[in-house]
Amino acid sequence: MSGGTAQVRTAFRTAFQGVRASPVTSIVAVATIGLCLLLAGAFGLLVSNMERLLDRFGEDIRVSAYLEEGLSPEVQAELLGRVGMAPGVERVELVTPEQALARFRAAQGERAALLDGLDRNPLPASLEIALVPEQRNQAGLEVLREALDGLPGIAELGYGAEWIEGYEQAVGLIRGVGISIGGVLALATLLIVANTIRLSIYARREEIEIVQLVGGSPAFVSSPFLLEGLAQGIAGGLLALALLFAFYRLMLPGLEEGLELLLGYAEPAFLGAAACAWLLLAGAALGFVGAGVALLQDGARR
Amino acid sequence: MRASAGPAGSAGALVRLFHVSKSYLAGSWALRDVSLELVKGEFVFLTGPSGAGKTTLMRLIFAAEHPSEGQILVLGRNVSRVGPAAVAPLRRRIGVVFQDFKLLPRRTVEENVGVALDVVGVSQRDKRARVFAMLKRVGLQHRRYHHPLSLSGGEQQRLAIARALVNDPEILLADEPTGNLDPDLTLEIMDLIADAASRGTAVFVATHDHSLVEQYGRRVVRLEDGEIVQDAPVRGSRR
Repeated sequence: MSGGTAQVRTAFRTAFQGVRASPVTSIVAVATIGLCLLLAGAFGLLVSNMERLLDRFGEDIRVSAYLEEGLSPEVQAELLGRVGMAPGVERVELVTPEQALARFRAAQGERAALLDGLDRNPLPASLEIALVPEQRNQAGLEVLREALDGLPGIAELGYGAEWIEGYEQAVGLIRGVGISIGGVLALATLLIVANTIRLSIYARREEIEIVQLVGGSPAFVSSPFLLEGLAQGIAGGLLALALLFAFYRLMLPGLEEGLELLLGYAEPAFLGAAACAWLLLAGAALGFVGAGVALLQDGARR
Repeated sequence: MRASAGPAGSAGALVRLFHVSKSYLAGSWALRDVSLELVKGEFVFLTGPSGAGKTTLMRLIFAAEHPSEGQILVLGRNVSRVGPAAVAPLRRRIGVVFQDFKLLPRRTVEENVGVALDVVGVSQRDKRARVFAMLKRVGLQHRRYHHPLSLSGGEQQRLAIARALVNDPEILLADEPTGNLDPDLTLEIMDLIADAASRGTAVFVATHDHSLVEQYGRRVVRLEDGEIVQDAPVRGSRR
C-alpha cells in the first residue's frame, strides 16, 4: 500500500470516527441540508411541472404559410416537403381552402350562417407549421421566416407574434424566478452547512492542533472534514428526495383534481432521473463546499 | 549543543539559531539574542526558572512560532520563513514531548501513537508492527486498547514519548518530560530519551530538575530572562 493510499484510508477512517464521535452534529448537518434541498426540490418540481404545462400550451403555437392561388397539387406537395425540412420545423400539414373554411365556420358558432352568403371561398390554402419546443420563440420564428423567405408559391407568413412573446416571457419568468430562488436557497444552505461543520471542527479543535503538531499537512487535516461534508451532503440529498417523493405521492390526488378543474388537463410528474441526480449532486457539492468554507473560516481565525 | 559560531557553523548541526529574539509584547522579550547549535546524537538539557523562555525556544524550533529577530535553521530549512505547507514535512522529522502531553482523549493508546505514522502515510500493517514495538519499548503494550484518560500520569507521559519516538525522529524536543513523575519513573523515562540520543537523535530536554541534570552529566544550557547565561560542556554521563 503506497503512502498516498494509506493517507486516503486514514482520511476515510478519521471522517467515520468523526461522525461516530459527534452523531448529533452530523444528524443536524444532514437534516439541515435535507430540508434546504427539500425546499429547492419542491420549487424545482413546481417549476418543471409549470414548464411542462407551458410546453403543452406551446404546442398550440402554429405558423401559417399562406399559399398563392392556383398552385397545382404537385407544387403544393413539393412545398410541403421543402418546408418540412426547414430549420426548427417539427411537422407541417397542408390545409386546403375547404378545410380552412370548415374550421372558420366551426369557430364562428352561431354566426356561421353569415358565411352562407359567400359566392366563393375567400380563404387560401396554407401550410400549418409546428415548431420543435426549443424553437418556439421569436428567434426560432425569425430563423424560419428567413428560411421560407422568397420560396416560390408562398404568399405570406402568419403567426401570432403577441402570443409567442407572452409565451416566451412566461417561460423566462418562471425560469428566472426558479434560478433566483434556487440561488438564494443554495447560498443559505451553504452558510448553514458551513456553520454546522464549523461546530464539528470546533468540537475537534484539540485533535486538529495535535495532528498538526505531529506533522499533519493542511490536506491531511482538512480531508476528513471535506469527506464528512461530502457524505453529509449526499445523505441530505437522499433525505430530501425521499421526503419530496413522499409529499408528492401524498398530494398527487388533490393536485390532479385541481389541475383538471382549472385547466382541463392534469399530467403532473415527479422529477426526472437527471433532476434527481442533480439534487444529489447539489447536496454533495453543498456539503463539500460548506466544509471547505468552514475550514477556511477556521484557518483564518487561527 | 554549543553557542553558534555564525551562519557557517558546524557541518553536522541539525538545529542552528542565529541571534534569535522573540517578543510577544513591544519592549518585552521572551528570548533575546539566542545563538545555539544542536548536532546529531547530542543530548542537551535546557534549564532555567519558569518564564525563562524554555518553552518558547522549543516552540520556535518546531515552527509553532516565528522569531521576531534572527534566523533558525532546522534540518537545513529556515523555519523563520517556511509557510504552513512546508512546516508539516519538517515536523514529521521532529518528535515533541509536550509538557501537557497533548494526547487524543477519544483515541486509544495504539491510535495515539499511530497518528504520528498516519501523517507520513505508513501502511496499516507496518503501523501496527511499529506501534506495538514502540509501546513495548515504553512498557505500555498491555494498555494499547485503553484510552489516555484511564492511564496514570506516568503512563500518559510514556505514551507521549512513544508517539514522539515512533517515527525515529532526527530531533527530539521534550518539555519537562518528567514533570510529575516519581524518581524511579523519572529515570525510566530519561533512559528512554537517552537511548534515542544513542541511536543518533539530537535530544533537547527542558527541565527544572537539577538533580536530573546532575545525574546525567550532559551539556547544559541555562536560560534566564530569555538570555543564555550558561552553556556548560559535557562532564561525563553517570548513566
